[in-house]
Amino acid sequence: MGHRRRAAAVNNPSSQRVSGAPAEAVRVPSRKHNICMVSDFFYPNMGGVESHIYQLSQCLIEKGHKVVIATHAYGRRKGIRYLTNGLKVYYLPLQVMYNQSTATTCFHSLPLLRCVFVRERITVVHAHSSFSAMAHDALFHAKTIGLNTIFTDHSLFGFADVSSVLTNKLLTVSLCDTNHIVCVSYTSKENTVLRAALNPEIVSVIPNAVDPTDFTPDPSQRQDNRITIVVISRLVYRKGIDLLGGIIPELCLKHPDLHFLIGGEGPKRIVLEEVREKYQLHDRVRLLGALEHKDVCGVLVQGHIFLNTSLTEAFCMAIVEGASCGLQVVSTRVGGIPEVLPEDLITLCEPTVRSLCAGLETIIARHRSGSVPSPASIHACVQNLYTWRNVAERTEKVYDRVAGEEVLPLHRRLQRLRSHCGPVAGSIFAFVAVLNYLFLLLLQWLVPDRFMDKAVDATGPLGLWKQEQSSKHRALSKSATKKAAEPKISR
Amino acid sequence: MGEEAFTDISGKAISLNCQSHSSFCREFTVSSSKVSIGKVLVYTCSVWLLAYTVFFFTENTAVLSSAILITLVGMMLHIHFVKVDHESLLVIGSLGIQVSSSYASGRETTSFIEMSKIKDIVINEAIYMHQIIYYLSVLLKDASDPNAVSSVVPLFQSSKPRMNCLVKVYKSCQEILSKC
Repeated sequence: MGHRRRAAAVNNPSSQRVSGAPAEAVRVPSRKHNICMVSDFFYPNMGGVESHIYQLSQCLIEKGHKVVIATHAYGRRKGIRYLTNGLKVYYLPLQVMYNQSTATTCFHSLPLLRCVFVRERITVVHAHSSFSAMAHDALFHAKTIGLNTIFTDHSLFGFADVSSVLTNKLLTVSLCDTNHIVCVSYTSKENTVLRAALNPEIVSVIPNAVDPTDFTPDPSQRQDNRITIVVISRLVYRKGIDLLGGIIPELCLKHPDLHFLIGGEGPKRIVLEEVREKYQLHDRVRLLGALEHKDVCGVLVQGHIFLNTSLTEAFCMAIVEGASCGLQVVSTRVGGIPEVLPEDLITLCEPTVRSLCAGLETIIARHRSGSVPSPASIHACVQNLYTWRNVAERTEKVYDRVAGEEVLPLHRRLQRLRSHCGPVAGSIFAFVAVLNYLFLLLLQWLVPDRFMDKAVDATGPLGLWKQEQSSKHRALSKSATKKAAEPKISR
Repeated sequence: MGEEAFTDISGKAISLNCQSHSSFCREFTVSSSKVSIGKVLVYTCSVWLLAYTVFFFTENTAVLSSAILITLVGMMLHIHFVKVDHESLLVIGSLGIQVSSSYASGRETTSFIEMSKIKDIVINEAIYMHQIIYYLSVLLKDASDPNAVSSVVPLFQSSKPRMNCLVKVYKSCQEILSKC
């Protein structure tokens, strides 16, 4: 330790000076960006958006960009943490309102987000998920500060009820200034373009990905004297759990060797428990409760058929994971699901009990006759369809495109808001934008940019973390020393 | 070692004085600027004007005398408990670290950390009010597990120097710590 410490002391001046210099000082082959991902949803919260942000950031770091993530504090997890490969996460102390989403007042997050943007020398702000108030705030503030923005939408919305009308209006305002929008499927793109009244040319489609090495088939885990249907989803209305409650008794009566394995937790669990109680299916329907992501594969490989009963879905990750584990996939034909897998890997049904039962029956019959493709061949088909490297490459192109665009000055931004979002909402938000700008001026007067220390880069062209990996005997850099100060790094 | 111009996180000038007593003993003193007479005047005037307005409506002389008392007691408390003139860090190799801060009134607080309890000295980042700042801190060893960190003692808490100053202190501290 002593030796390494001394080396650190000797080594630090050079690295310190380099990282203090502007990014242009070092010639890099292609343009590298300083990206800030903003979303309310990040680990330790679990879900699709969280893993999307994490995996995408890891691949962008691998490509040499600098990535930091800003999210709100989760319980005692606040402050600044480093994850694998120097991915820096800011857990900002903002008040959580509802469903892990922060309260939005359009103003209170500006001081901290400005601090993050300035000290990390951010060039592109990438916000995720339309449910996240913090993401919308960040888009708004980034435009006030004068940064280019990208937004990734992960979900589908309706148009009919009051809440969606309001959300859609907010989305229109929020996305009106955004340089580029990324959707996860063509259905989602159509939905977003209609909801937010966008120009379709600034909307790209980049699907999600799965890590194929995490989801590999293992036929030895299967029990051959029975047929197991696996369902893994949150047990909520949107996922069609009521349909599942109708399917289970019908199929179990017909096929005595049929078993159900259901992973996930949610308010609709009671429906499944009632069904199990009523038809005495305790030995054949197993409810596993909430699963951690690492356990999902272990459950998937036990099954023969993967069933997805979603009623709405922008891009269904679960069916890709199921197919990657070599399962036959049966799903409802809703949202973006038909674009996800090639036709020979998936059986699509209407979202009704009868249609889903008919679909499952054909697969079961095929199973009994032995005419289904082997798990290994299905895995081979799927493993190259969706990879994170591909996603990162396509996202990089979006960054390259956005980085060259100009940021509208305030008066043109106000004009656009008013012409784009209607006279009433447009004027209100133009007023809010002006207030936000004045607030920024106040902050810049109170804490000028020049008094803010520029952060030491962990990733990116000047990242200290990478140098350390490339030459093992080189000294512990400062970022690694700081890592020691954070004993609770989870990943 | 000479003095260099440094600022704290809000841009006020501070000075860092490094004294090398011997090869394994160094002292770092960060001095913040004195209380400006203008600031004292502004605070006093605002309290007195407020008191005078209240007096104008209530015509109760107790308001004025209490205003005088409040300003006097406030000033005393401020220089005695809040305003720190110097903060010093004395690093003695193989013995320990002494942290002391002297207040404007002359009061001094000192604490000493034994070398056997110290794991390392690092620069860390934290969210402070509406800013994100760097600070220097001492990591203390956990008594049961020598590799774990039981607690963190932040240094230069009231002067809050900026990164360039912290790096300078950090490097000299590491030079001494690495020798033992």
